[in-house]
Amino acid sequence: MTLYEKEINRINGLIYSNQEQIETVIGVRSYIDHNFDKDLNLDLLSRFRFVSKYHLLRLFKKYYGLTPRQYLIDKRVEKSKEHLKNGLSVTETCFSVGFESLGSFSTLFKTKTGKSPTQFQKEQLSRSKLGSEL
Amino acid sequence: MKVTLISIPVRDQEKALKFYTEKLGFIIKKDMPLEGGNRWLTLVSSEWQDGPELLLEPGPNHFEPCKIYQDALMEAGMPYTQFDVKSVDAEFGRLTELGVEFSVKPSTMGTWKYAVFNDTCGNNIQIVETL
Repeated sequence: MTLYEKEINRINGLIYSNQEQIETVIGVRSYIDHNFDKDLNLDLLSRFRFVSKYHLLRLFKKYYGLTPRQYLIDKRVEKSKEHLKNGLSVTETCFSVGFESLGSFSTLFKTKTGKSPTQFQKEQLSRSKLGSEL
Repeated sequence: MKVTLISIPVRDQEKALKFYTEKLGFIIKKDMPLEGGNRWLTLVSSEWQDGPELLLEPGPNHFEPCKIYQDALMEAGMPYTQFDVKSVDAEFGRLTELGVEFSVKPSTMGTWKYAVFNDTCGNNIQIVETL
């Protein structure tokens, strides 16, 4: 066994010993993955796993390094990039990934990707057009 | 400031280029000649071509401490860096078929699944899937 494997096993035993907690956060993450387009909130997520919402918040952050809300936003932005690439309009994209306001979607998208949804889509579409012409 | 580049030390750039493109599936982004036959050689992920570039740098051939560090990581089985994959099991199957050697088979650690392979250019590379 290499030094790396020994270290991994040691750390695994120390920080990943609570199987119940691990199952809870994996379940919540997977629930977000499958329902990111719906109106999700901490109350709903905690009812779904039968834990208090503050406990869930702490657990999720402990195992994934970010809060369920941050994870959900990243997921939505990632999905909206796909939709924009596929030619869906900005408004359609916004609502289909679960955002409720066009304004907050555009602002978030720009913060996360460095471009507005419209700019991003223009670049993607002109790129695929260029690709087929050159 | 933006993070756009990560570098991997390799002993042979041409060999690394073949391994990283033909086996791992990266694609060439930049290939510029430098002095002494060295190249500025960067790759990107085929599924994320806007993502960070991977620089295959011949550091170990020109700077002894780099070689020593690389050898020590290899000896300890430690990954030089890691890449995200959708499924560690699927990549393990695909790469094994292509003759890639794994020092750590797919294993689970809490909320992660991981495996470690040899990139044949002096490094262990870890692939990771978030569970």
